[in-house]
Amino acid sequence: MANAVAPPPNPSSPAQPLRSGQHAGASSGDDGPAVVHTWEKRDVTISEVVAALPELRRQADGREAATRTAVLTIVMVIGPRDDPVSCAESVRSLGAHHPCRAVVLRPDPDSTPVIDASATLWRASAAAAEGHPMFFEEVHINVGGQAASHLSSIVGPFILADLPVAMWFPTDLPDPTDPLLRLASVLMVDTRLVGPELAAIGHSYRTLLELANHQPVVDLSWVRLQPWRDLLASLFEPEHSRHFLQGVRLASVKGKPGPRHMLGGWLMAQLDLRAREVLLTDSKHVDITLEAFYDGEEGKFQVSRDEGARAVWAKASLSGGMAHGQAMPLPDDSLTSALSAAIANLRADRVWERALAAAAALAS
Amino acid sequence: MTDTPLPPNVLAEGMETVRRAPPGVLVVFGASGDLTHRKLLPALEHLSRRRLLPAAFSIVGVARSEMSDDGFKGLMAEAVPNAGPGWAEIIKNSAYVSGDYSHPNTFKQLKSRLKSIDEALGTGANRTFYLATVPDVFAEVAAALGKVGLNHPEPGGSSRLVIEKPFGRDRESARELDTALHEVFSENQIYRIDHYLGKETVQNVLALRFANAIFEPLWSRNYIDHVQVTVAETVGVEKRGSFYEKAGALRDIVQNHVMQVLSLTLMEPPGTIDADGIRDEKVKALRSVVVPSVAEVANIAVRAQYDSGWVEGMAVPGYRQEEGVSRDSQTETYVALKLTVDNWRWAGVPIYIRTGKRLPKRVTEVALQFKAVPHLAFPKAAATGLNPNALVMRIQPDEGVTLRFGAKVPGQAFMVRDVLMDFSYGAAFLEEPPDAYERLLLDAMVGDPTLFIRRDEVDTAWGIVQPLLDAWGNDGAPLAGYAAGSWGPRQADTLIERDGRQWRTP
Repeated sequence: MANAVAPPPNPSSPAQPLRSGQHAGASSGDDGPAVVHTWEKRDVTISEVVAALPELRRQADGREAATRTAVLTIVMVIGPRDDPVSCAESVRSLGAHHPCRAVVLRPDPDSTPVIDASATLWRASAAAAEGHPMFFEEVHINVGGQAASHLSSIVGPFILADLPVAMWFPTDLPDPTDPLLRLASVLMVDTRLVGPELAAIGHSYRTLLELANHQPVVDLSWVRLQPWRDLLASLFEPEHSRHFLQGVRLASVKGKPGPRHMLGGWLMAQLDLRAREVLLTDSKHVDITLEAFYDGEEGKFQVSRDEGARAVWAKASLSGGMAHGQAMPLPDDSLTSALSAAIANLRADRVWERALAAAAALAS
Repeated sequence: MTDTPLPPNVLAEGMETVRRAPPGVLVVFGASGDLTHRKLLPALEHLSRRRLLPAAFSIVGVARSEMSDDGFKGLMAEAVPNAGPGWAEIIKNSAYVSGDYSHPNTFKQLKSRLKSIDEALGTGANRTFYLATVPDVFAEVAAALGKVGLNHPEPGGSSRLVIEKPFGRDRESARELDTALHEVFSENQIYRIDHYLGKETVQNVLALRFANAIFEPLWSRNYIDHVQVTVAETVGVEKRGSFYEKAGALRDIVQNHVMQVLSLTLMEPPGTIDADGIRDEKVKALRSVVVPSVAEVANIAVRAQYDSGWVEGMAVPGYRQEEGVSRDSQTETYVALKLTVDNWRWAGVPIYIRTGKRLPKRVTEVALQFKAVPHLAFPKAAATGLNPNALVMRIQPDEGVTLRFGAKVPGQAFMVRDVLMDFSYGAAFLEEPPDAYERLLLDAMVGDPTLFIRRDEVDTAWGIVQPLLDAWGNDGAPLAGYAAGSWGPRQADTLIERDGRQWRTP
């Protein structure tokens, strides 16, 4: 491209620039998105990066400019604990189905005060786009020095007007007072990652609650747990079983820190249980059991994972003899799938907020 | 326990946006047949995979074929080879009743099986009876269900009857069928399926029109020159030759699919997007269509039959060479039709409809062709590539919406040409839309009749096509030919060209 300065190899760039026509590493075979053009430059101004984007489109394939299809802007803020390559790959495979402009920020206040950037124009595979030419943009910006504390001034010019802005913090939660958050329509976080150490869970959840006071928060872990919640709720659809919801004596939740706290918090909040009626146990996989009584009858309601069958089972058995259950394949646990589900529902989730508040109490 | 008020399912809070069937039993008549095997069972498995079926759920198959419960369970498993684990649980709960539909014992046995399933699973006496049978037995099965009382919902339960098109062969037989069904089931228990209405993009016609303020003001005679509805298939009659011989394109496509799509396009905005809100307006729209007289049919309609030709790179036989088709068949495989509408919104706007088999491309679309600008300010030479605006709703495949408008060609000269603003659903939403049968089965079990056809819709649609049936039922009614792989006969072109218009090439 005319204005692009051929950059030196940039080992610090998370963009992993690819050659035109090369397929994205995140996708398998020929089905993945392919690079149309890339641009990168060290010590760049934001205006230069913004100007590079339409230029990439104009040069799309030498014949016709690449049209823009976008349904949102995703801003990802990579923290020191994140794996920038896998995060970028998730956003990329998401973009291949759900066209967006992705802006990946890597702030480092302690490094040299320069901005390095790269931009890539991707073409979604024909299958993903149902035969339509569909292009999406990925911008990576390494921000060094003081500018790393003023990310809102960097992100603003990249936001697509009139479309939602999803801001994703893969591991580290932002400061609730950061002006960057004012640009977001929704924040995406993952409670499975924000407080993996038991001691940190309570604090992290309280920070999240504060964030949720200002704008909608979508929790990727909560999205992943939906099938379990869904299946458990479905056990109470038959009228006979429904009455047992008012007589739950014990909720046992097994799982890793994070998911088990959120599910325990959810049950505590929704069923109005006391903390001592919620038993949390460490386990590799999620397993929920409710023991309940109604009218002299005992009921056991369980959702558990069957590793051999790669399935999740929900079973209700009542001492009176009635029993019902259902199973479903283990849901897709990938980050891309969780992100896809999250951006389909960019709004506040009051049930999650109540579950979070109860989970914070359980953790402490 | 039944005296205690039912508490809300607090664990389902926040998940209300997901429509899920309540506990219940789906009873499928014609359980050993092709429709059940090819469409219904795979659709039910998909619903289970998407967690849209309840934990307390069972399928009971009923058919004349001798089969045990295990035989039916084997058939269920075979119909969905790569089923998810939930399917096995549904199979486990399922049962089969074998017997003749004319024998009361079949239905007594069915009633007893349903009672035991309710007791074992807690299915709450919610029953959906799906008639995947030949239409000839619809009335017989409905009457037999009535005789054992399965038409009456038990307290807290439901009883619904689902039937598939065709709803009669003409207006009279449709009315007879309706009378027979209504002797046993009330209208709000009857769910008439036209699977076109289950297509996501047909429903999107409603979203496009009534969720956007910019289109509706243009959606009238003031701006629209004419409307074209195209339902084109590349396939021939396949193995349905003997069925198609009795149906033809008018009964198979125009009376139902086209009329449904047309009514959604022409209808006034409903007060509420609910079952009666929408269906009332659809019926009003269909009632506004001017019903031609038999004598007028020759001027407003063309019917034709495909000859041999080439479709998608393959040589294909003519209709009369197809299996199960008479060598001197007079059945039409193509219909072109011009209708007019007598109401405030559409007066003077012709509706051109065409449907056919063995056309060059599989496509269903509704195109609103706007009027040309009243005065073109540019020299004619500068606008040679400019056509009137068009808004096209593509229903299948590649569902989406296209708006054609003029734009300046870059350069020193002022040249204007057509450009397309193209929206593809597939490119904007990751979620794969459900299959039409999935959607409609779920709606029937949930008890939402919005996408099912009400008796007055069926009757009015038959009323519109009845003069064509009458005219074409006469010996010697003209039947044009067209080469397979073409867009239809020359006579169809003449039909539209004499109004100074042309068929679109979709």
